[in-house]
Amino acid sequence: MTAEPMTAEPAKPASASVNPLRQGLRQERMPEPCTMVICGATGDLTLRKLGPAIYNLALGGHLPPEFTVVGFARRPMSNEEFHAHLREGIDQHSRNRPVSESVWSAFTGGIEYQQGNLDDPEAYAALARRLDRIDRDRGTAGNRLFYLAVQPSLTPEVVSHLGAAGLAGGSVRTSGRQGWTRVVVEKPFGFDKQSALTLNRQIREVFAEEQIYRIDHYLGKETVQNLAVFRFGNGLFEPIWNRRYIDSVQITVAETVGVEGRGEFYDQTGALRDIVQNHVLQLLAVFAMEPPVEFSANDLRDEKLKVLRAVRPMSAEDIAHNAVRGQFITGWVAGEKVGAYRDEPEVGPDSETETYVALKLGIDSWRWAGVPFYIRTGKALPARVTEIAVQFRRAPLALFGRAGAPEIDPNVLAIRVQPDEGILLRFGAKVPGPGLNIRGVNMDFRYGSSFAVDSPDAYETLLLDCMIGDSTLFTRDDELIRAWEILDPIVEAWHASGGGPLHFYAAGSWGPPAADELLTRDGREWRRP
Amino acid sequence: MAPAVTLEPDATPYLELRGTTVRAVEAELARLWTAATTRTDRGDGTVVTEKGVPHARTSVLNLIVTVRDEAASNRILETLLSLGARHPSRAIVLQADPSAQGNALDARIQTHCHNGENDAGRICYEQLALTVRGEAAGHLDGIVAPLVIHDLPTDVWWPGDPPFNDAIFNQLVQMADRLVVNSADFSDLLGGLKRLGVIRRRSGVGDIAWERLAPWQELTAQFFDAPRFRRYLPNLSRLRIKYAVGNTPDSGTRSPEAAALLYAGWIATRLAWRRARSREGVANGGMGIILEGRYEMVDIGIEPVATDDAPPGELLSVRLRAFGETGSAEFIIDRSATEATVVTNADGMTALLRRIPLEPESEAEVLRRQLVLDQRDLLYEDALRAAGILLAAARESAA
Repeated sequence: MTAEPMTAEPAKPASASVNPLRQGLRQERMPEPCTMVICGATGDLTLRKLGPAIYNLALGGHLPPEFTVVGFARRPMSNEEFHAHLREGIDQHSRNRPVSESVWSAFTGGIEYQQGNLDDPEAYAALARRLDRIDRDRGTAGNRLFYLAVQPSLTPEVVSHLGAAGLAGGSVRTSGRQGWTRVVVEKPFGFDKQSALTLNRQIREVFAEEQIYRIDHYLGKETVQNLAVFRFGNGLFEPIWNRRYIDSVQITVAETVGVEGRGEFYDQTGALRDIVQNHVLQLLAVFAMEPPVEFSANDLRDEKLKVLRAVRPMSAEDIAHNAVRGQFITGWVAGEKVGAYRDEPEVGPDSETETYVALKLGIDSWRWAGVPFYIRTGKALPARVTEIAVQFRRAPLALFGRAGAPEIDPNVLAIRVQPDEGILLRFGAKVPGPGLNIRGVNMDFRYGSSFAVDSPDAYETLLLDCMIGDSTLFTRDDELIRAWEILDPIVEAWHASGGGPLHFYAAGSWGPPAADELLTRDGREWRRP
Repeated sequence: MAPAVTLEPDATPYLELRGTTVRAVEAELARLWTAATTRTDRGDGTVVTEKGVPHARTSVLNLIVTVRDEAASNRILETLLSLGARHPSRAIVLQADPSAQGNALDARIQTHCHNGENDAGRICYEQLALTVRGEAAGHLDGIVAPLVIHDLPTDVWWPGDPPFNDAIFNQLVQMADRLVVNSADFSDLLGGLKRLGVIRRRSGVGDIAWERLAPWQELTAQFFDAPRFRRYLPNLSRLRIKYAVGNTPDSGTRSPEAAALLYAGWIATRLAWRRARSREGVANGGMGIILEGRYEMVDIGIEPVATDDAPPGELLSVRLRAFGETGSAEFIIDRSATEATVVTNADGMTALLRRIPLEPESEAEVLRRQLVLDQRDLLYEDALRAAGILLAAARESAA
């Protein structure tokens, strides 16, 4: 007989809310059994993103066996037809192909389809009955995730019907049901501050803020999450992450494609609302935020909000000087001729909608005062790339300068979000040989070659987070409203009669010359990523 | 995000260096890659050097493997090759024989490359097979040190029964960030578990037998992810584990009970069970142990079963029983050759039954998961210590 303890430090008895056998396992973040309802399940988002993401989560063993999907949409469809619909998307778009038949077979056992018009209260009542039955049959314990994969204009109506059908959750006392309920809302979150406030109010009439997950898939990208690790997980970079060492920052979100059949939507939206309001400002906030007290949802979002609050509002004069809007005209991208934006289907021949934006922003904080943040995004540009590039100040003394020799390039740290995700540091090195010639060289970290493992798609990360109840990578309502407060003056100025000029640029170019001028007058230039 | 890779590699022919020196091997390795500056385009999209060695090179760690003979060396090289695309490493396979005559050092060097997709280039890495004889075999650390890629983690994989008291073993462990063994291969399991427990490396110790438990741990944890079943955990009163042994006495695995003990140790430490004493009466010469649970005494039985359905050492079934306010509950995982049957019988409900594919995993796949880890596995360290205590308690009774 022995009286030895079983561990050096005996484990504490676990609380009832934690599964002690889950702790420390590779699949440590396992959601509770739940049902995911995809409202608008027959659309493109389900085909291209949601179906593959759920399949890959199942393939990776990240989903509990009770996990169930209910597709909810207007189109009449049997369960089997819905399976085939999902399978088509997975076959085409999954990062893991070919599909594992054994996983697929088990996966389809938990996938059902509920036909119903999204404006019909009875359809929601039928959905509620089905969900109750699933709770009983599959042990999903009343946990429900509603994913609104619907046109933005339908969001308030769908939310209202969910509430009226008693599907929005709430306390056990009021709903008579145990378990959690969450709702995922896709962008756009309004088209200005006022409409965003209205949308928020409509959703909040049914769901509490902690139930609402506003998804911006950029935040689910591995590199964006790594940005926080890069800054706060290393001792080297944070001390130089400030105005004393950083000269300027460039954020580029470039697309090679045009509007891809979304002419009507895009013409009402434009690049500023479509990209800058969400993706770019979120990248900016994660890049520039102070270290959070802990890496928790509200601490992180508090810090992001502080950055957005410190972004200097642009006056009419600022907008005239520091904001450039452009629209592509006929040109060539990747060897293929691209027509002008105004020739796109559902786009007016005299459309003034911007397909390109360049901004110079300032952040009035102790850390960033005086550091310009140059932002650009556009369609029909020469390369698809998203990156944040930090240009450091030059060495204080040109020790190696010779008369007539060019200055040594400043150091650059480029954080590549997509494609070729990774981080590049550019610095000067002596060219081998006699003489003291200096040339810029790259230290290049790439996810693909350093880890040689597949990273999850952003939707996989975000869906899993949502099921677990981790809202760290989702946008909070106050962040959203502040983003609109930054951009509304620009939109209003551009839409006012006599607003700033619309600059045209050839498809396949890096934007209009006016955008270059934004930097050259500061003695800088855009990177060519 | 990361590039998908094709798994059929290109390989340069073996470069054989007989009667060579470490410096010559080192120079040859350097030559393979410094040639990369003279790139040429083959015209089919791949870029090669003038020597035919592809340009891009990747390694995520140094992997040092010891083997007994050339046949084992070739088998290990094959295993590593199937690891390569997912876990490119500089692999150094060492065959050391202090008593052998002949060349002090023979070396084989080979470079392997896998095509990446999406213009991600090629992933290339190299394998070295070194045969060291005579007095030099007693100084393997000095031979290996110049050949590892600096500033990368170094893992030592010691297949078979590690000679814990051997100077060569300790030399290599000292230069490793992580040691990977298979406790199921230990000839003295209790001694081996104790020795592993005191090895302190930056990334700790990895164990193939433990890694093979991963799907069992996952299925077990899944029972209790549901809050309604979680409440049974403090009331568990019985754990039965069956594991496979070969149908013949010489089935290769020296300690097939290792994984079962580690599994029991994992459960015991996670649930804070304390104090162990043995009991008798387990079938087929198995082990019986009584532990003190939170509210109940827990009766653990670990039983060997002769079968060809699973490789020796693998678990065959796990049964957990608890008594709750609404009666007893049972959580069962049974495996056949290709699948696991998972049954929950609790709350007076009809049993929930699932069937899940569960086929034996290749050594390369299990090893790959171990090599991905770059930090101590605290869960394993706890389970290892507990497994040692359980085994010692069982042996006390047997004695």
